[in-house]
Amino acid sequence: MSIFEYNGSALVAMVGKNCFAIASDRRLGVQLQTIATDFQRIFKIHDKLFLGLSGLGSDTQTLYQRLVFRHKLYQLREERDMKPETFASLVSAMLYEKRFGPYFCQPVIAGLGEDDKPFICTMDSIGAKELAKDFVVAGTASESLYGACESMFKPDMDHEELFETISQALISSVDRDCLSGWGGHVYVVTPTEVTERILKGRMD
Amino acid sequence: MKLDFSGLESSAPLYGGNNELLSDGFSAAPSFDLPVTSDFDDFQKNSIQMVKPAKGTTTLAFIFKDGVMVAADSRASMGGYISSQSVKKIIEINPYMLGTMAGGAADCQFWHRNLGIKCRLHELANKRRISVTGASKLLANILYSYRGMGLSVGTMIAGWDEKGPGLYYVDSEGGRLKGTKFSVGSGSPYAYGVLDSGYKYDMTIDEAAELARRAIYHATFRDGASGGVASVYHVGPTGWTKLSGDDVGELHYSYYPVEPAVVEQEMTEAVAV
Repeated sequence: MSIFEYNGSALVAMVGKNCFAIASDRRLGVQLQTIATDFQRIFKIHDKLFLGLSGLGSDTQTLYQRLVFRHKLYQLREERDMKPETFASLVSAMLYEKRFGPYFCQPVIAGLGEDDKPFICTMDSIGAKELAKDFVVAGTASESLYGACESMFKPDMDHEELFETISQALISSVDRDCLSGWGGHVYVVTPTEVTERILKGRMD
Repeated sequence: MKLDFSGLESSAPLYGGNNELLSDGFSAAPSFDLPVTSDFDDFQKNSIQMVKPAKGTTTLAFIFKDGVMVAADSRASMGGYISSQSVKKIIEINPYMLGTMAGGAADCQFWHRNLGIKCRLHELANKRRISVTGASKLLANILYSYRGMGLSVGTMIAGWDEKGPGLYYVDSEGGRLKGTKFSVGSGSPYAYGVLDSGYKYDMTIDEAAELARRAIYHATFRDGASGGVASVYHVGPTGWTKLSGDDVGELHYSYYPVEPAVVEQEMTEAVAV
């Protein structure tokens, strides 16, 4: 098992009409053994920007702490929040700095940019950005997630339908993965509110 | 996400003599220490072996006053991928003997069926049923003769014969152990924890079934390679019966129901001005 599969993770982000949703599983394991069922993988950078980090748990926490630090400095200097596109470039640059000793993480960035236009992107562990208009996935269950999202996704869903779709895609994909699951955590973000929900999933 | 680390590998093997070269400040390779070993290939092979998961499953069986209780999960995994959630891991060798499956599915299915054939032939030749001791010895001898050829079988033979309930553990290394309580597979440490703390010889059939079910459920919760359906079988003086097959996803919420969350702050609709 590779180092990316050591802790196990599943992350997905989807774009809707003037909104986005980002969801993750809740398991933290040490190879096959489950240690925790409430592990936080999605972090809020500011009200309209969320960061999900899959891969090695230790690196996800460290990377998140470094990014929060950089964002706070930016807020002090620029007196405003970072745009999602800018944040994605920041993450990409920080990952490439460690090109020969990388963070074993795959980030998923989701935010509302200018005029509240939803923005999602993912990158590999050394910072190659992949911008998508519909959905992005990461983690040990990523192959199943690609299949589920491809078949369930429709463009321009409203936030209720988007929540249903992303939850179904996440749950059905992690049910085919030994290393992720044990519940789900979904954030649905519109220009006016952020809804956080915990999903009841199979605990095996 | 597979990264290309070929840039990190040093072209010279790491023998003692090269240390001077690296320590004079001209290190071109980036900075983590390679292990000090002369046999690099074996190290890699051993470290792969170290992390290789033991047969990904949970099966258990124990003897109590009313016979033998046998239980198993139903997940088949290939590395991290779940290939099936509905595998029959308790194999019915004949109406009074059960075998459990752990390891290679094909190996277990084939050799258990082969054992069933041999048991029937014994019955016809000797006009009486084969004992559990005899059946397990037949299987163990077959597996021993294939030792080293890559069979993967970790099975328990449970049955009721003239001497009463019998339980043997047989594996593809050729081992055969008689016992009263066994659990096999990657989830077995978790199952043993529950089994050992709840076991009493004088349990009723219902209590023993619930103990077996709980042990499998707890193993599926903690072990990534176990899951699906927890099947429980009982072997008594008249043969085996299947007692239950419960989906462990639903068992979790029946054992640990979700409390409705206390609403701390409720948002009310803002009145439009």
